[in-house]
Amino acid sequence: MSSRPRLPARLLAVLLLGVAVGAGAQTGTVAPPTPDTRATQVTRASGRCGVCHPADRAAFEHSLHAREDVRCVSCHGGDDTTLEKAAAHGRGFTGKVDRGSIPQMCGGCHSDVEKMRPYDLPVDQYALYQTSDHGKRLRAGDRAVAVCSDCHGPHDVLAPSDPSSKVFPTNIPRTCGACHGDSTLMRSRKLHDTYREYLTSVHARALFDKGNLRAPTCVSCHGVHGAAPPQTGDVNKVCGKCHTAERRYFNAGRHRGAMADQKVSECASCHGDHAIPAAQPMRLAKSCVDCHDDRGKEAVLGQELLADYQRANDELDKADALIARADAVPLQTDDYKARLEEARTYLREAMTATHTVQPDVVSGFSLRAHSVGTEIQSEIQGKLGNIRTAKLLLILFWFYVLVTAGILYRIRDRRRPSR
Amino acid sequence: MNDTPKTPSRGLLAWLEQRLNVTELFSFLSHFGLVYTPIDTRRPLKDVLAEIDTTPVTSYARWPHVLGVLAAILFALEAVTGLLLAYYYRPSPESAFESTRTIVRDLPAGGFLHQMHTWGAYLLIAVVAVRLIRLFWDGLYRAPRELLWFSAVSLMWLILQLDFTGRLLTWNMKSYWAAERGLEVMWSLPLVGPVLSFMLGGRVMNEDVLIRFYVLHVALLPLFYMIGLYITFGTIRRVGLSAALEQTRGNVTTFRQHYIDLLIIALFLFAGMVTLATLAPFHFLGVADPYTTPAGARPPWYMLAPYAVFQRVPGPSWIPGGVMLAVALGLLLLPVWSRAGDSRFDEKRVRIAGAVAFGIWLALSVMGAFLDRR
Repeated sequence: MSSRPRLPARLLAVLLLGVAVGAGAQTGTVAPPTPDTRATQVTRASGRCGVCHPADRAAFEHSLHAREDVRCVSCHGGDDTTLEKAAAHGRGFTGKVDRGSIPQMCGGCHSDVEKMRPYDLPVDQYALYQTSDHGKRLRAGDRAVAVCSDCHGPHDVLAPSDPSSKVFPTNIPRTCGACHGDSTLMRSRKLHDTYREYLTSVHARALFDKGNLRAPTCVSCHGVHGAAPPQTGDVNKVCGKCHTAERRYFNAGRHRGAMADQKVSECASCHGDHAIPAAQPMRLAKSCVDCHDDRGKEAVLGQELLADYQRANDELDKADALIARADAVPLQTDDYKARLEEARTYLREAMTATHTVQPDVVSGFSLRAHSVGTEIQSEIQGKLGNIRTAKLLLILFWFYVLVTAGILYRIRDRRRPSR
Repeated sequence: MNDTPKTPSRGLLAWLEQRLNVTELFSFLSHFGLVYTPIDTRRPLKDVLAEIDTTPVTSYARWPHVLGVLAAILFALEAVTGLLLAYYYRPSPESAFESTRTIVRDLPAGGFLHQMHTWGAYLLIAVVAVRLIRLFWDGLYRAPRELLWFSAVSLMWLILQLDFTGRLLTWNMKSYWAAERGLEVMWSLPLVGPVLSFMLGGRVMNEDVLIRFYVLHVALLPLFYMIGLYITFGTIRRVGLSAALEQTRGNVTTFRQHYIDLLIIALFLFAGMVTLATLAPFHFLGVADPYTTPAGARPPWYMLAPYAVFQRVPGPSWIPGGVMLAVALGLLLLPVWSRAGDSRFDEKRVRIAGAVAFGIWLALSVMGAFLDRR
């Protein structure tokens, strides 16, 4: 009996519970129970540093590092458990990290195989950076070169796959362009404003206008952490990563040896380096005389290749127009369309094959395209001709019509014999 | 003709006649304009034919006063070609274009059949329209020919509706958008607009519209058209050919000759259609794309006038729609409000008013055709 609470006590408990439930329900409806982490709560990542450094804290809190247990003190040192400035900025506090030592500092973790293993991240960025022009200049004492934080952000480090990251493909040109589009800075280093040149290129159009994330950005050719301009002799390897067929034809041709001997940049001599325009057949008429005599046999060869291309292209255009005419009849043209597409592929291959600068290789493709074009034309003309022939049957038809009309006219006036 | 009973003749017709009243069947055909003499269905067909053979016909019933019969013949031709096309046609947005292409491209003579159907439609509209103009010009809407006029106007409306519904069925880029613009014109008609739009399947193009257009095109509208033809020839049989003109000319021919003349006309009509279908075929256009409006999408030619008004006259669209409806109803009810004897509506004045209205319609149509052409 003594273990049982008395009635007034039980009543009180029920009442209290009811009030608590009511209060809970009320808070539940009024405001969602989500604490504002930005201003009030102390997180493990930023500790109490954010009380005085709210902007840095905000940038750091949504970075990849904050999620992976990296803290303010990991890079800056000091004590993040106190609000007392002297204590917080004591004990190995480095303050703002010196630009010259940033690569080393980042490398402290990112070159550590043990630390990077769980994330399956490469550990060679620091070593690569040392081989880059940025790294070399930094070591030589040039402090206006890119260090880790310039591209990845000091606090807001995001994964490269994050579209808001500075190293997401569509953001890379702007990230590099922050320095390489600064013409004053570049002029002092005897460099071009390659950022704006790149923006005019076919690569930039593919990246920005077509949204092709595999289109080449700065890092595709220059490397990421080991960024450096490709050397003469390497250019065709760099471009050939994507343009494999062009590279194959180029290496099979005479330009390769000759250009290597003359120390002339392979692809860039004709196509430019950053402001690379879309491949145009018309280039055949112009590019050769950039290096060769404009009355020499090379210039003539360029004109011949262009003429070959244009002849084949004209035939294909004519075939295309005929297919449109046949469709308006309509005739069955699916086969012709497939063959025309095949011929266009030959013609594209012919343009690729011009990198051999051997007319027999090139015309092998353009002639094939040409002959498919003429074949399609003659077959469609044949079918259209059949229709024209069928029209001649009209003469026969009208003959019968007139004969029938004549017979009808004759029996029209014939009286029926009365019975 | 002697009334003595003949010896029972042999042959298929005789065999049939003993088991079936063939004259009755013939009389049924005559309802659609083949014959307009009274037929006694109790007599054998041979007698009836022999009588028709020798019945004199006034010269009035000859060209160019045979447009009604031409409308019937062309309609029959459209029915036959349309029926054959329907064998392969599939009325759904997914397969309408495909099946049309199969008919036109892959089936033997399918393209020819389709061309004939299309050219026949154009000729049929021309014949019905010219006939309406002729009836108007000759004042053949006055008593007792009100029904002739009503049926002529109805045939005009029906044939335009048949054209409007038939156009869409090919589901190519031009027909799709023409029908879309046409639906917009329909919707703007006050009172009847929503009803018509409901019957046609909606205010804008959707999958219901195609199947409804199909049903209207192959079943409902042809049925109405045949009723219109029946009324046309039924009323001619009752009230006779245009009396005023009939009296001025003598009997020049017999029915037999008249039929053979009609046959020759029909033959030349058919030959003309074949020639047009062969020498001036309509182009086969690409499939309709609901997401891209081709440049210069406009309704069929007969809707260009109201379309021009909709596009250029500011204000609510029911005003031009109402005017259009009023004109159409006014045309239909011409016999009601222009009674003979009323001096305000004498023949000459009505003719001038009609010519002016026609001129305005023509000008608006031209305007509609050149709208947004640049």
